[in-house]
Amino acid sequence: MDHRTESRIADVILYGSVAAMLVFFYIPILTLVAFSFTDSRFLSFPIEDFSLRWYGALFENRDFLPALGNSALVAAVSTLLSTILGTAAALAWMRFRFRFQRVFQAVTFAPLLFPQLLLGVVMLLWFSVLGNWLDFSPGLVTVILGHGVYIIPFTLVIVAVQIHGFDDTLEDAARDAGATRWQVFREITLPLLWPGIVSAAVFAFLLSWGNFYISYSLSGTARTLPTFVFSGIAVGSSPIYPALATLTFVPALLLVVAADGFRRHAAKRNRMVLHTEEN
Amino acid sequence: MKRLRKSWRDPALILAVAPAGLLMTAFFVVPLVMTALLSFQGTKYYRLVWTWNLDVWSDVFSQAHYWTIMGRTVWMSGLCVALCVILGLPIAYAMATRLKSLENHITILIVFAFLTDAVLKTFGWVLFLDRTGVFNGMLTLVGFPPGATDLLFGPGATMIGMVYNLLPYTIFTIYLSMVRIDRDLILAAYDAGASKTRTFFEVTLPLARPGIYAGAILVFVLSLGVFLEPKVMGGGTSPMAAELIRQSFETRVNWPLGAALTLVVIGIGMVSLGLAALVVRNRLQGQDLQGQGGQV
Amino acid sequence: MSHPIIEAAAIDKFYQSYQALHGVSLTVAPGEFLALVGPSGCGKTSLLKILAGFEDPTSGDLMIEGKHMVGVPPSQRPTRMVFQKLALFPHKTVAENIGFPLKLAKVAHGEIDRRVREMLSLMHLKESYMNRLPAQLSGGEQQRVALARSMISKPSVLLLDEPLSALDAKLKKSLQAELKRLHRNLGTSFVHVTHDLEEAMMLADRICVMRAGHMLQVGTPEDIYYRPATTFVAGFIGETNLLPVMVAAHGGQGSKKWRFASPSIACADPVVDRTQSAPTVVDGDALMMLRPEMIHLLPEGTPDMPCAMTGIVDEYFVKGASIQYRVSVEGLAAPVILEVPGTLRRPADVGEPVRLGFRRLDAYLLPADPHAGVAA
Repeated sequence: MDHRTESRIADVILYGSVAAMLVFFYIPILTLVAFSFTDSRFLSFPIEDFSLRWYGALFENRDFLPALGNSALVAAVSTLLSTILGTAAALAWMRFRFRFQRVFQAVTFAPLLFPQLLLGVVMLLWFSVLGNWLDFSPGLVTVILGHGVYIIPFTLVIVAVQIHGFDDTLEDAARDAGATRWQVFREITLPLLWPGIVSAAVFAFLLSWGNFYISYSLSGTARTLPTFVFSGIAVGSSPIYPALATLTFVPALLLVVAADGFRRHAAKRNRMVLHTEEN
Repeated sequence: MKRLRKSWRDPALILAVAPAGLLMTAFFVVPLVMTALLSFQGTKYYRLVWTWNLDVWSDVFSQAHYWTIMGRTVWMSGLCVALCVILGLPIAYAMATRLKSLENHITILIVFAFLTDAVLKTFGWVLFLDRTGVFNGMLTLVGFPPGATDLLFGPGATMIGMVYNLLPYTIFTIYLSMVRIDRDLILAAYDAGASKTRTFFEVTLPLARPGIYAGAILVFVLSLGVFLEPKVMGGGTSPMAAELIRQSFETRVNWPLGAALTLVVIGIGMVSLGLAALVVRNRLQGQDLQGQGGQV
Repeated sequence: MSHPIIEAAAIDKFYQSYQALHGVSLTVAPGEFLALVGPSGCGKTSLLKILAGFEDPTSGDLMIEGKHMVGVPPSQRPTRMVFQKLALFPHKTVAENIGFPLKLAKVAHGEIDRRVREMLSLMHLKESYMNRLPAQLSGGEQQRVALARSMISKPSVLLLDEPLSALDAKLKKSLQAELKRLHRNLGTSFVHVTHDLEEAMMLADRICVMRAGHMLQVGTPEDIYYRPATTFVAGFIGETNLLPVMVAAHGGQGSKKWRFASPSIACADPVVDRTQSAPTVVDGDALMMLRPEMIHLLPEGTPDMPCAMTGIVDEYFVKGASIQYRVSVEGLAAPVILEVPGTLRRPADVGEPVRLGFRRLDAYLLPADPHAGVAA
């Protein structure tokens, strides 16, 4: 096979696989968006007429509103919890050496290797036992704790990657200039890790917002959007669900785009410094 | 990056370690221990009874039914790993070498799809694969008879769902190990007269092994616990381990049994992790230097 | 000498079991420019970090401005550091970077602004740079900003950690001149770490040569170049000849002279003064150091010099201002290196027999044992 044919075949395979992957990843999402605009009460293809009637129906019956409120609350609190704890843990992972560090690393990373449903089940058992002793039943608080356990390993890894590229002589320079430990952290460390922390927070929000497995196990009688949709489609595919799905995509999409803009802005700054230093 | 040695008396260390450490201990480590303890209890009239015995475990080991399902779970997971690695390789390679300028956009597209609500995506797949769904609809448009494919509610659909949800893991781990490969090594291979295909198989692929292994392990352990895909897309016709666990808790209200089955799945996961660690250690010997060099 | 600004006494530094500094003692006078030189891993950077307060000595004492400094954090010391990679904060503007130490010291805004402008003009930086980010400046400008940041709080000692090592040759020369000018204008003590002895000789009042955690020699550039304490110091800058000789005290007990002998060197009166030898030289084997420019090529018909050698030209290199010859001399393992002023007509060719000469006054004796003078 000559050189040029080989290159061409490789290009077709490589570009083709990326294009195919993107189509594959968006099949269910675009299907839902398309069906949300159908006029029919049956979710079958081809879609005959387009209308907004199911959005109207959605806002008329409002069953989903409590679930929406719960999801927003859970996502907000879990994001805060897992971003702060994940950042602190990442600093300990990357910057410190201490006794039992391996143990600490193992327990903060292991949930990433657990299927979510098993995490949920294991925690449910514990919360039920605890609930018997302390007289409470699973609800939003247990969901938030569960999301924390599930999400912290992700935020930890994202912030740790940012710390990996961090030049710690900048901190020495600040100390040398007369900064206290707290001033070094606030003036230098935090601003420079900020892009990673923001990405971690966005990741945390989306993981919590779209989480089904753990919420399903730990929410007791409370409903979040994913569990609300699950119980809905288990009963039968009502055409309001595609509309609901499309609505939940919007805030997530806006958040991702905004976060990427921020990240790129910050990365440009830092990359330019590295660049000029090498020259 | 230098690491500061910290004593446990240093408030900075406590501040950094304690919150996450305590949360994980209280709601991850302790629950695991509790699960192990529960598997030695019994039930009576749908209520948990604290009687220490091995009844549940002997039940688990004597029922062929459970092990058929466990076997299916392992087989499906293995297949899923193979598909995710094979599909992930060209995509990761293309992202690492050809699509530098678009890399960011592609990453965001993948991440967004990855982080979208799993139930909604599964539901979307149902609508797509259904007999009257989008896929068959499209086939009709090009001349196939209506309902030409009947993928939904079978193991095929389960596998599509699993690959769909887990493929991002292999793409990212392989991609990360590929972008770290020193470009000069590739050029040296070309310079030595290797063709592009040859270079990919002789240089790129071996150096990307850490990423391939990491992705494969992640996908395997995570697919042991899939639940939505076999239930919603597979139609519950060929249940996997997670469904079995759910039934013990919800339908049969037998917590000790559920706990024991959970531990079996965790055990399968840990054994495979251990085996993988052994294999990886043997095969990656001597590549450490490479990796270090790449990081500097 | 007035009261020293830095007094380091018997400093040891261990990293786990590895000993980075062995009993280093050093003083720096107010306004002095001291260079710490040595190959990488010699401990010069560890010593600088101890001076700055990023690390504490394992044992030994450090006083700066008469105060004990062990355990005092960098922020509380009258020292400021210029980092090897500059360590400019990428998220702060030029003005914020330079003014950072004053901001931490809670100096009023207007005063910070005034002093930042003052530093900018001192460093020949445009005021329009104030709102730029470091990334938007050239390498040389970044160096100046880093210097300005360390000088703005008027430290009594400036510590420089090879800040010029990453620059290209031309920029380096201009910044060396800049450093010398700054030092002269400010009257601050400078401690400058470098692995470039030429740079150290150009800039410093005194040079401290280090190797493997030991201080080998502290002295003026002339001391280091002409009167090195060990063969290592002798070989650390430029090229040099170390000719094996036998020495013996000349004129009996309490004499101030050495008599030397070598089968390869013919001298009319082979005696040198004791001041022309390292104090560690003893009777027996020794090495005679001769810098290449001290050995002369003697064409036919020129008068002999007090000492002479004969040999055959091995190789020559035209360096422009000079021509370097390598001459193999019978009885010597290494060729003798010499430099003669460059001329259009080369005085000798490869393979030609030549006569070499030097003055006894230029010879300097070193101990043959390379470990002499180094406490183990």
